[in-house]
Amino acid sequence: MKKQILIVPFIFFALILLVFFYLLIIERNPAELPSNLLNKNVPKFETNSLIKKEKFISSKEFGNEIVLVNFFATWCKPCLEEHDYIKRFSNEKKIRIIGINYKDNKKTVINWLNKLGNPYSNVPIDKDGKIAIDWGVYGIPETFVINSKGIIKYKHIGPITEKTYKKINLLIKKIE
Amino acid sequence: MITKKIFLIFIYIFISQLLLSNSYSVEPDEILQNPEQELRARNISKNIRCMVCQNQSIDESDAPLAKDLRILIRNQIKDGNNDKEIYKFLTDRYGDFILLKPAFKLNTLALWLLPLIFVLVGIFILFFHNKKSRKIQ
Repeated sequence: MKKQILIVPFIFFALILLVFFYLLIIERNPAELPSNLLNKNVPKFETNSLIKKEKFISSKEFGNEIVLVNFFATWCKPCLEEHDYIKRFSNEKKIRIIGINYKDNKKTVINWLNKLGNPYSNVPIDKDGKIAIDWGVYGIPETFVINSKGIIKYKHIGPITEKTYKKINLLIKKIE
Repeated sequence: MITKKIFLIFIYIFISQLLLSNSYSVEPDEILQNPEQELRARNISKNIRCMVCQNQSIDESDAPLAKDLRILIRNQIKDGNNDKEIYKFLTDRYGDFILLKPAFKLNTLALWLLPLIFVLVGIFILFFHNKKSRKIQ
């Protein structure tokens, strides 16, 4: 009886090792945190638009079709890296994209968009980062997929790569 | 004599490091005029994780987002919100991860109770082991 009990710590230790090993080999970035806003309505906000004269009112912009929301800034290098993918969403997939401009300079953004191409249907301005806080953003670029009912279905932190581009496309097809 | 001096120098460095580790990042323009409100803001900030650096509180972090959140907390205090409302505002947006001390909830039950269970099991095993070995003697 006593000898059998001695096995218990070894089994326990083996289980812990197994869990650690599993966490090590699965594709997981511990710096990427799940959004607390998933499956919730988009946060309400009103702000000026960079490219349109009328104010950007969130309740008017969401809830009709699938929308991609991309937090970006011209000073953010990864945003430049992912810009081609954002354009591909807009050109090839005909998805409406709203680019929330985070803590930036108006003139620089206009020049940036003129030079690289503007994939955004509207560019609301988040001058002091308050809108980003409401969206739970902690490091731009961040991209959200919003379904036609105005509910957040997916959030990607960091620049969009070929892999995430495909992943978001699949998701869009699924929720269409 | 020399060894004693070296020892004292080490002690001095050790203690000064301990004191220095209490550094914080609150900038003068952020500080509230009402000391009571400022203390509340500091206490909340110490328990809010900087989402950018992740192992620092926003009270210690120099990240721009940490500064934004420090100012936001102070504005909410000025607006008359209580601590609970401020914590809720932050966890609604960033999840429980933003709290440096995890809340005592159903999904954190194991985190809080397992150490206690391990200690109890350890005591139990020690107790029975001693009893048996005494019998053998």
